[in-house]
Amino acid sequence: MWQRIKNGLEVRIGLEDLINTKLKNYTVPRNTNIFYTLGGVALVAFIIQAISGFFLLIYYVPHSEHAFRSVQYIMTVAPFGWLFRLMHVVGSNLLVAVIFLHMLSVFFMGSYKKPRELTWIVGWLMLLVTLTFCLSGYLLPWSQLSYWTTTVVTAMPTAFPYVGDYIANLLRGGEFVSGITLNRFFALHVAFLPPLLVGLMVIHVFLIRRIGLSSPPFDESAEEARPWTEYRHVSYPNGNSFYPYFVLKELYMVALYLVVMFFVITFLPTLFLPEASNIPANPLRTPAYIKPQWYFLAPYQMLKLIPNKFLGISMQIALIGTFLLWPFFDTKKERNILKRPLLLATFTASLLLWVVLTMWGRSS
Amino acid sequence: MRYILSILLLLTLLTVTTTADAGYRDIFGKEFLTKPWAGGLVEESVCIECHTSDIIKPEFRDIPQEWKKSWHYHNDVSCENCHGGDPEDAEMAMSPERGFIGTPKYSEVPEVCGKCHIGILKNYLESGHGKALKASKTGPNCVTCHGSHNIQKASIKIINESRCSKCHSYERAKIMKQALFLTEKKIREIDNDLKKLRSEGVFTDEEDRSLFRTHVEYRTLFHTVNVGLVKKSTDKFAKKLGLIEEKIDKTFKELEFRKNFSAFLMMVFAGLGIVIFLLARTYKD
Repeated sequence: MWQRIKNGLEVRIGLEDLINTKLKNYTVPRNTNIFYTLGGVALVAFIIQAISGFFLLIYYVPHSEHAFRSVQYIMTVAPFGWLFRLMHVVGSNLLVAVIFLHMLSVFFMGSYKKPRELTWIVGWLMLLVTLTFCLSGYLLPWSQLSYWTTTVVTAMPTAFPYVGDYIANLLRGGEFVSGITLNRFFALHVAFLPPLLVGLMVIHVFLIRRIGLSSPPFDESAEEARPWTEYRHVSYPNGNSFYPYFVLKELYMVALYLVVMFFVITFLPTLFLPEASNIPANPLRTPAYIKPQWYFLAPYQMLKLIPNKFLGISMQIALIGTFLLWPFFDTKKERNILKRPLLLATFTASLLLWVVLTMWGRSS
Repeated sequence: MRYILSILLLLTLLTVTTTADAGYRDIFGKEFLTKPWAGGLVEESVCIECHTSDIIKPEFRDIPQEWKKSWHYHNDVSCENCHGGDPEDAEMAMSPERGFIGTPKYSEVPEVCGKCHIGILKNYLESGHGKALKASKTGPNCVTCHGSHNIQKASIKIINESRCSKCHSYERAKIMKQALFLTEKKIREIDNDLKKLRSEGVFTDEEDRSLFRTHVEYRTLFHTVNVGLVKKSTDKFAKKLGLIEEKIDKTFKELEFRKNFSAFLMMVFAGLGIVIFLLARTYKD
């Protein structure tokens, strides 16, 4: 039976040739480390989010009167609803962590340099889309936590003169976060962002396959040093096959990702669901202690520290713009960051600053 | 070139910042990072504004602080709910036209509290306490036992020798406390279990309401100060509390199942990871 299907496909699409050219004969550098697998892990994490999100969507009611109750129904009555919701909640946080790690490793290994500037930019756009996913998804349970966090975040654009209020009102659909905001965020979360992300993902993967994987910069012999004056595919004649070597490496990192996810669900199920997430939204009662998600804590703390809010938010936008276009600012050929002490120092200081601001934002 | 571009970008932002209108910053500062985040929605009432300012007599200035520590505050019961008036209009806040009654007369306190605590008022008025107040106008009213602004969640501790013996001997009150003890203990245990469930992320609204209803009914009964009636009703309340307990136990078991199930999945993926890792090494060899 299996052989017949295989033969049928072979005749029609040339299955063996496809496997040979795209998987077995496609080579990756011999010295790829586990950080090379993070992109693949993020892809699987996105798929897990999509599948768990689909199951949540079956029971979720996007209406301010019913949203909270429908989420409680998912958690208590719907068969294994609790599992899909926790996978979705924990998964979203782990996904952001994986993308952060992925981008840090790409930066550290100088993989954004010519000819991979576009891959970097598309990756950054994917990070921004992911954060928008998280932000819009956060409001959907319509709990005190989601309501007030959204109130804080949607107030941020008001720092801009002239257009700030307009942007905030556009996001909220009025002066305050209300059922209209919920509908807007829901539509964004399930209808607008998924195709956008899939589109960016396709471009990202296409660019990686078209240009070829970069090699770690610590072994200079791996990648051809010829100047990039015309298109060529970076190949590694002495490298490892994509399948099985790299695929297996990817798979055990995916297994590790799932182990971490289920570890959190088993032993720390309320890590990302504090008490305020279990109280229905009440626009008349501001909770005493409420903070944005961990990945927004650093920008949140930065805004708190800078007395002029417009300057604060402008600096953040400038920082995003700088990182987005970083390959065009850093055009030096040297990819090994260890040979560039100034860049290494800036990179380490920025990372430390981010960690300090996050911790500070959490404790203040 | 790229450095010049970066500097120009920063300079542009700084220029816009310094020339921008200052008004929006104040609005933003008010709306974001400092309370209240919801703008006008959570503005404090004019009652609080006056009672915390210098225009009021010093002995009345602690009232808002006391109230903020109370059970009423935690349940959204505000000044106007007891004293009437309009908390949103400074000029009419204390107008009788808006229902302002100020400090109620001693004998009228039960009527004021009874606006919300309807069942308790009925039983209290039929009790020795209520009859004494009606007859002498000086018998114990709600405030005698519960206090006024810093009203805490009622518990069996309210019945104690120092409080009760202000008016009569403690003996009868002691018998009442003993009759209440087991049911109150059970209520406390269930309350703690519900707190535990909430801390584990379970929404316990239905059980909270059931417990609240049973508790209120029980407390209402107690206000008759009729030991015989309390003893007679204990079984009925035990059954009601038992039903809530059953639900809680079921939820605890469900949580245990969830933990085991996700731990099982974790082990499955850990095993799978190890197998793939070993397989990858075999290929390398």
